[in-house]
Amino acid sequence: MTTGSIEAGEAKEAKSEGGAASKAGAAAKEKGDGKGKADAGGPSIVTLRKISRSFQRGRETIQVLDGLDLEVPAGSFEALMGPSGSGKSTLLNIIAGLDRPTTGDAEVAGSNLSRMSDGELAKWRSQNIGFIFQSFNLIPVLTAAQNVELPLLLTHLSSDERKKRVATALRVVGLEDRMEHYPRQLSGGQEQRVAIARAIVNDPKIIVADEPTGDLDRKSADDVLTLMERLNKEFHKTIFMVTHDPAAAERASVQRRLDKGALQ
Amino acid sequence: MNLATYARRNMFRRRWRTILTIVVIALTVVIFSAIRTVVVAWSAGADEAAQDRLATRHKVSITMQLPKRYIDDVRAIPGIKAASWAVWFGGKDPKKRIPFFATFAADQHTWFDVIDEMKVPAAQLAEWKTTANGAILGDVLAKTLEVKVGDRLVITSDIYPGDWEFKVVGIYEATRKSVDRNTMVFRWDFFNNDPRASFSREQIGWMMSRVSDPRKGAELSRQIDKIFDERDDQTMTMSERAFQLSFLGAFSAILKAFDWISVGILLIMALILANSIAMNVRERTHEYGVLRAVGFSAGHVRGFILGESVLIAALGGVIGVALTVVLINGLLGPVIEESMAAFFPYFRTPPSVLLMALGLALALGVAAAVLPARRASRLKVTDALRRLD
Ligand SMILES: Nc1ncnc2c1ncn2[C@@H]1O[C@H](COP(=O)(O)OP(=O)(O)OP(=O)(O)O)[C@@H](O)[C@H]1O
Ligand SMILES: [Mg+2]
Repeated sequence: MTTGSIEAGEAKEAKSEGGAASKAGAAAKEKGDGKGKADAGGPSIVTLRKISRSFQRGRETIQVLDGLDLEVPAGSFEALMGPSGSGKSTLLNIIAGLDRPTTGDAEVAGSNLSRMSDGELAKWRSQNIGFIFQSFNLIPVLTAAQNVELPLLLTHLSSDERKKRVATALRVVGLEDRMEHYPRQLSGGQEQRVAIARAIVNDPKIIVADEPTGDLDRKSADDVLTLMERLNKEFHKTIFMVTHDPAAAERASVQRRLDKGALQ
Repeated sequence: MNLATYARRNMFRRRWRTILTIVVIALTVVIFSAIRTVVVAWSAGADEAAQDRLATRHKVSITMQLPKRYIDDVRAIPGIKAASWAVWFGGKDPKKRIPFFATFAADQHTWFDVIDEMKVPAAQLAEWKTTANGAILGDVLAKTLEVKVGDRLVITSDIYPGDWEFKVVGIYEATRKSVDRNTMVFRWDFFNNDPRASFSREQIGWMMSRVSDPRKGAELSRQIDKIFDERDDQTMTMSERAFQLSFLGAFSAILKAFDWISVGILLIMALILANSIAMNVRERTHEYGVLRAVGFSAGHVRGFILGESVLIAALGGVIGVALTVVLINGLLGPVIEESMAAFFPYFRTPPSVLLMALGLALALGVAAAVLPARRASRLKVTDALRRLD
């Protein structure tokens, strides 16, 4: 997939219903584990089996995830809620290939992550995962356009091609007029939208978002959530979002709860 | 934009820290180059010194004198082409226009034959031989003392009391760069006849001899000293260069210390650079986590840190080299060459030293980044992301 799909999706914008539903419907093969009402259906793009993750703090071992199973169908928009410290970020990091489970298998976007080296994982992330963080995490010394271009520097695209993709991604988030602005010249909501442009510029299959609205006011949060909905519906991105905000979780098609190391 | 853009932008994120680091590196390069220049210029001076000349002084100390008749013994040795003598006078300018200059009384018949790179026009030399209080000055000294041929010149002395009045009969010119142009020579017989110098009557300070075959210098030195071995005053004969150095005895030791000082200076520079790179990296730990998350590898992060460090070192190095060229080759060098020609006939920083300074700055730029880069690239991505700055 290339930005072609983003552009194509954008072009289809007028036709309201994206191809997502029909495509997913055609491939409908319910693999559902019953824990989530995966209304997008489709083959699962994330499959976690018996995932455990513990941390060593001094002599104490903290069991954060304990034999957790999870299937996320391709094209779904899932929200993960749960008390602070329940391991939501830990789970999201494992899905995104940032962290490795202590035991268990993670298969994401067709790759078995446990078999990959750190270097392979980095490359895999750049091609398959888009990240949205709570605190935006833009590079302050780079302009909006340069921040969005950053992941493309890992590809073999020409400078012209990169510029085109950056422009497209920024158009999708509605900030094509802020290309040359630095992060400090943007509002929080705008910064998060630039971060979203950065997350989609490589056209990844999965977008992970760890409390993407945590640092935003209601209005900006709503804008960001609407944008994420659009990425899901229009561009068929699978989205896995951790949130504390029930209103944000409402926007997702599937809501899950993590508590005491397992999904409820 | 490319990957270097990011490294470059990072460089001036902490503007003053980076500027100060660059200034330190530049100054280090200047000091390093200056030290190396002294060492290089010193040995260049040694190469310039006449190879066929020996100096003989009192075995105990340069401040002790020898009987004048020793010169005849030296002249009698086969292989000695010519020999002359002189006595240190310790001349001072009563008007203090120059803090120090060499002044000595020498034999008017032979001195300029032995020291032939001091060129005196034949007419002036002839005039000297007929003028008892005649003096011959280096062109630079004459200018400083504001005298020309025919003028009267009054000099005082560290050693001998009162005013000493001379008539300037000649100006010598240097035919080699290593020749001191600040020397004053006057007649030994004039000095020897003055009652104020009676305590050194018929005594001389040192002898200079020319050998027919420069390769026999060491052997002839031994031969000369052997002659006087059984006399009241023993001698010590050495090459002219070694003789000059004995005036600056401590300086040779300083020169050796210079090698260590230059190493120390480089170490300090490396530590300062390493410290500011380490601070930069620590502050950016979270950001490196973000980069790793979006797909940059540990190698990329190492590269960013290394690139930034080398860039800072290169900037400091280039500025330092430019400063060195201006300060030493432009300003200081010509002054030293004129005032200390006997020791530093060429006081310029050679390109090889500049290249070495720049190369070392770059190498230390790499070295300074090694530890911070390794630490940053080994940090787990999730840990880096949790680190809030
Ligand atoms: N690298 C680590 N080292 C030690 N303990 C860790 C580490 N990462 C997470 N933990 C611990 O694991 C538990 C779960 O952390 P996690 O960040 O996943 O929680 P969370 O559900 O995202 O919480 P929050 O809602 O506050 O973000 C916490 O008790 C945390 O302290
Ligand atoms: Mg969390």
